[in-house]
Amino acid sequence: MKSIWESYKTESAYDELMYSEFQPRQVSYSLCQYLNILKKEDIDRRKKAAELAIMEMGISFTVYSDEGNIDRAWPFDIIPRIIEAREWKIIEKGLKQRLTALNCFISDVYSEQSFIKDGKMPGEIINSSKNFRKECVGMKPRHNVWANICGTDLVRNKDGIMYVLEDNLRVPSGVSYMLENRVITKRVFPELLQGINILPIDDYPTQLHDMLSSIAPHQNGKVTLVVLTPGIYNSAYFEHAYLAQQMGAQLVEGNDLVVDEDDYVYMRTIEGLKKVDVIYRRIDDDFLDPEVFRKDSALGVRGLMRAWKAGNVALANAPGAGVADDKVVYAYVPEMIRYYMNEEPILPNVPTYLCSNNEHLDYVLAHLAELVVKPANESGGYGMLVGPHASAKEINAFRQIIQKDPRNYIAQPTLAISTAPTLCKGKLEPRHIDLRPFILQGDRTFVTAGGLTRVALKKGSLVVNSSQGGGSKDTWIINMGDR
Amino acid sequence: MLSRSAERLYWLARYLERTENVARLVSVHMNLLMDLPRGIEMGWQQLIRINASEQDFYENNKIVNERTVIRFLLTDSSHLGSLFSTLSAARENIRTSRELLPDEAWEQVNEMYLYTKKNLDSIINRRSRVLFLREILKGCQRFTGLLSGYMSHNNPYRFIRLGRNLERADMTSRILDLASLLLSDSRSDEMRQYETILWMNILKSLNALLMYRQQMHSRINGDDVLNFLLLDKNLPRSVGCCIAEISDSINRLPNHDALPEKVIELERYVQAIDTHHTTQVQLRGILDDLQNKLGELHRQIADNWFLAMTVE
Repeated sequence: MKSIWESYKTESAYDELMYSEFQPRQVSYSLCQYLNILKKEDIDRRKKAAELAIMEMGISFTVYSDEGNIDRAWPFDIIPRIIEAREWKIIEKGLKQRLTALNCFISDVYSEQSFIKDGKMPGEIINSSKNFRKECVGMKPRHNVWANICGTDLVRNKDGIMYVLEDNLRVPSGVSYMLENRVITKRVFPELLQGINILPIDDYPTQLHDMLSSIAPHQNGKVTLVVLTPGIYNSAYFEHAYLAQQMGAQLVEGNDLVVDEDDYVYMRTIEGLKKVDVIYRRIDDDFLDPEVFRKDSALGVRGLMRAWKAGNVALANAPGAGVADDKVVYAYVPEMIRYYMNEEPILPNVPTYLCSNNEHLDYVLAHLAELVVKPANESGGYGMLVGPHASAKEINAFRQIIQKDPRNYIAQPTLAISTAPTLCKGKLEPRHIDLRPFILQGDRTFVTAGGLTRVALKKGSLVVNSSQGGGSKDTWIINMGDR
Repeated sequence: MLSRSAERLYWLARYLERTENVARLVSVHMNLLMDLPRGIEMGWQQLIRINASEQDFYENNKIVNERTVIRFLLTDSSHLGSLFSTLSAARENIRTSRELLPDEAWEQVNEMYLYTKKNLDSIINRRSRVLFLREILKGCQRFTGLLSGYMSHNNPYRFIRLGRNLERADMTSRILDLASLLLSDSRSDEMRQYETILWMNILKSLNALLMYRQQMHSRINGDDVLNFLLLDKNLPRSVGCCIAEISDSINRLPNHDALPEKVIELERYVQAIDTHHTTQVQLRGILDDLQNKLGELHRQIADNWFLAMTVE
């Protein structure tokens, strides 16, 4: 009988489960032992069971393609990724620290701009930012929090250190997949989960609900929450519906809402118009309100900004919060932590070259073949260059793109991001992974126990986005006790 | 409750009811044909007539036989009334209303849809078709059952009940349309010979045979069957019972305006039907009228509660 571990090579990157080819890490010992006992047929059966569950539960995401939008089943790898609780505690602290600083920064940007006045950051970065919304200047959202929901991407480098790759502060997605992944794992490995002390994650919808209630404009009585979705053709529609359902909130589209002359937001119900207090919006700023932003937006609600500025409705995340979701601003987060909190950053940034800086630009252009270059404002892994994997022709083409618009590009060294054993054609092979924990901030701050682990299913690939052929894994934070 | 959600749940229920009806019709009809001699005027073409879809059928089909009718009624995705189409439409409506229903409700519909998609090709074969139809009927019943057991009987539930019963009343009247053919004076002697079996078949298509026997204590005859299926207040698929359910749902919903009176009118109209002295021509007229009235009721429901797309 062949083992699924046969010829597992830990390669040159840090492997999350294996210390070496034959030696599991302490934290993954139970899992590896369990997997060793399973026959190949057992594994296949469980993989099939997981696929069936995903189909039946209808866990899907939409891929945009030339042939129209296709609803795809969520690609899931049944082998979990594990992090030890003691390490996680530190990461959690780092994530809270980071979001707190980011929110101080956004508040500052829309008021005094002391960070810029004190010379910590060139004002040009804000003035040229697509996501700076002048309409938001002077606003004071409740608790002074602009980004209530944040998805921060972490990667572990060869040195074993977790780095922050980016902060997603606009409409981060993926949390429903994190929750569903655990549901599937419980179905597929019920006997395994019993013996291991894994931190639970299923309180996220409750936490989200409480956080959203805490930012309501009034705090007396029942708060009416809605989730605003662009609609069924959005790639994350499954998640919007899932979260609304889990929170007991209404899932609404733009034309379900109306802003009346009193500047309050109402939804059209079978009983007539009903006032809405908090909107968890999953629509980008650009499309939020045709009165203020894009005039051609059919997704948003006319007058929504008026209602928000009058303090009659809370929006999460607040309009304009995306100003800090910019890969140039990212480079300044460690400085923000020192400036606003008087603390040293717990989680390091990946060293970042800003192409807007002439010295940096020269370096980047000379070293394109070793760097990862990203546009400052895109998400989903679109429009980036992975130097070591690109042809000379691609590199040259990209060089011209950067030179045309240096403000909009940053570069980072290509990290040897960590791997984890992943089931590939009945055998375990190392595949590169990242981690997206979700952080909620309202009257207090909450971090998910773990997050969504995304995995690049193609051999050697470093791109984990689901829109680019990535999959995901369940993420276990294991409490080993005090040994 | 959002107007949009009310509309989606209402249609979800209508589409699922259609799915179940088509499955039962085909299933009962297959059984019937095994009992009847060849060549009698109760062939596959009757199934197309029930759904008033002859025109749609002949657009894409030249001959009427088991193969073409089955494809048309069960698997043809270009025919909006086919089982696969109505089930797909039901799935689309529930997919966009998941926040209002228990998880299991979505999973149930999704499972049925995936199952149907997987079996589209094998349905042409009689044996696999029998199995397939059984699964669909069971699935629809599971859906109804789990809503009844897991879901608060709140406004969303009421819109589901409303849609289901409107569709049911409509379907029962269409099946009775077929019965009017049985009453036709020009029916063949051979047909007269099999009349009891045919009436039984009508009862079975509405799952009403056993209840008929318990209630009517009579041998099966046309007048009593008509009476039972139109006026009975307890049989879930009788027109009278469906209207009572519609009336109850409407009365419990907020902002029902003039709707309760409209339903009372409809109720009176149905109860006034004299099934014992009806000729075939009269019956057809009555059923046509009834279907129009149900259509009118649907329009009033939509005007009253659903999202009127305001042009800005």
